Amino acid sequence: MLARCPSCRNTFSTDRTGPQDCPVCKKPLVVPDAPGVVPTGAQPFLQPGADSSVEQGTPWERRAELGAWRAYWETVVQAVFEPGQLFRSTRLDRGAAQTGFAVLTVGGAWFVGQMLDRFFLRQWTQPLFEKLGGSGAMGPLWQKMAAASRDTSVRAIILLAVLTPLAVLIGLYLNAAVTHLAAVLLGQAKRGFDATFAACAYACAPLLLLAIPGCGSIVGTAWTIVLTGVGLKETHRIGPGGAAAAVIAPYVLLCCAVCALGLLLGMAARGLPQ
Amino acid sequence: MRCVVRSGPPSAHALGLAAAGFSLLMAAAVLPLDAPPLSLFACPFRAATSLPCLSCGCTHAFAALVHLHPLQALAANPLGALAAGAVAVHVLWTALRLCGFRYAPAAFPVTRRVRLGAIAMLALNWAFLILRGRP
Repeated sequence: MLARCPSCRNTFSTDRTGPQDCPVCKKPLVVPDAPGVVPTGAQPFLQPGADSSVEQGTPWERRAELGAWRAYWETVVQAVFEPGQLFRSTRLDRGAAQTGFAVLTVGGAWFVGQMLDRFFLRQWTQPLFEKLGGSGAMGPLWQKMAAASRDTSVRAIILLAVLTPLAVLIGLYLNAAVTHLAAVLLGQAKRGFDATFAACAYACAPLLLLAIPGCGSIVGTAWTIVLTGVGLKETHRIGPGGAAAAVIAPYVLLCCAVCALGLLLGMAARGLPQ
Repeated sequence: MRCVVRSGPPSAHALGLAAAGFSLLMAAAVLPLDAPPLSLFACPFRAATSLPCLSCGCTHAFAALVHLHPLQALAANPLGALAAGAVAVHVLWTALRLCGFRYAPAAFPVTRRVRLGAIAMLALNWAFLILRGRP
């Protein structure tokens, strides 16, 4: 019979019931006589599919039975408040659904945030852009960004609406690929790209905060990085240290150190000599 | 060891990666490097430290490769050029699989030696970028 260890969650084959050790992690467990029956006082044993949360699918992956809106909302709430449970229940064969969730969440929130910023908040954010662009090595870049985000023509809005999902799709796969590469290099990719992608996709839930211009993107990004670590830990069944290292390594090595950016922005805002 | 194995149609992730990769290659082919949006990809690490980051030059590498200038691509960022080539191969292979080609690249075991080799390649690539950028 097939059995699953409640400690390491690896599935293994056994020909007897009762107390025994997991062949993978060597921890003791009890295989019940009847599937799904957990003896009193014994360590709970999980038959594949017997636990209500393990790889049953997230609410979004079960949206056919729950309804799209309820499934989406429950997934967001779980991602934000009970990420461990969400990532444990993620099915790795539902890549298309996970892509849809991330594109819908990030694309929608980004578009709403951009609209709010361009049409209602520009008079307050524009001076900030100009101040940042006034000095520093990144000055010309900030000025170009300010000019690009000032456009409120119909053409610009349509272009933004069309290109945002595509940009989110590219960003999602780039993020997953870089994170997976880091996990592979650190020996933490135990269950393949599908597991990394699921973690990255559902970790996008806090990016709903992109709809809040200004601080939303900063808070959402930081939260997403943390959730990606939680997600990697659960989907790859690895330790918290390995998961954290796999998530942070790309930011340190590949993605242009965030601290350098902060330092630079601080220098630009204060107009320090270069 | 076999390099290809029999396979069914491409998975959702193979399609997603191909779509993202195709978009990147098209953007590199069509968009000018010195105008927004590509010119907005400035590297804050380089601006702060005057040293290139690991991915500096990748935009130029992608653009050079899709314009069939492989040497320029390698000079911009060797690993970036290899990544661009890998993306192009994946896009073409996925398109073939969508058309009925039933073979996929075989997975290879990621041993400790492979991981160390990859880390060494990243380090060498970074060293190349830093040395190339020196006056």
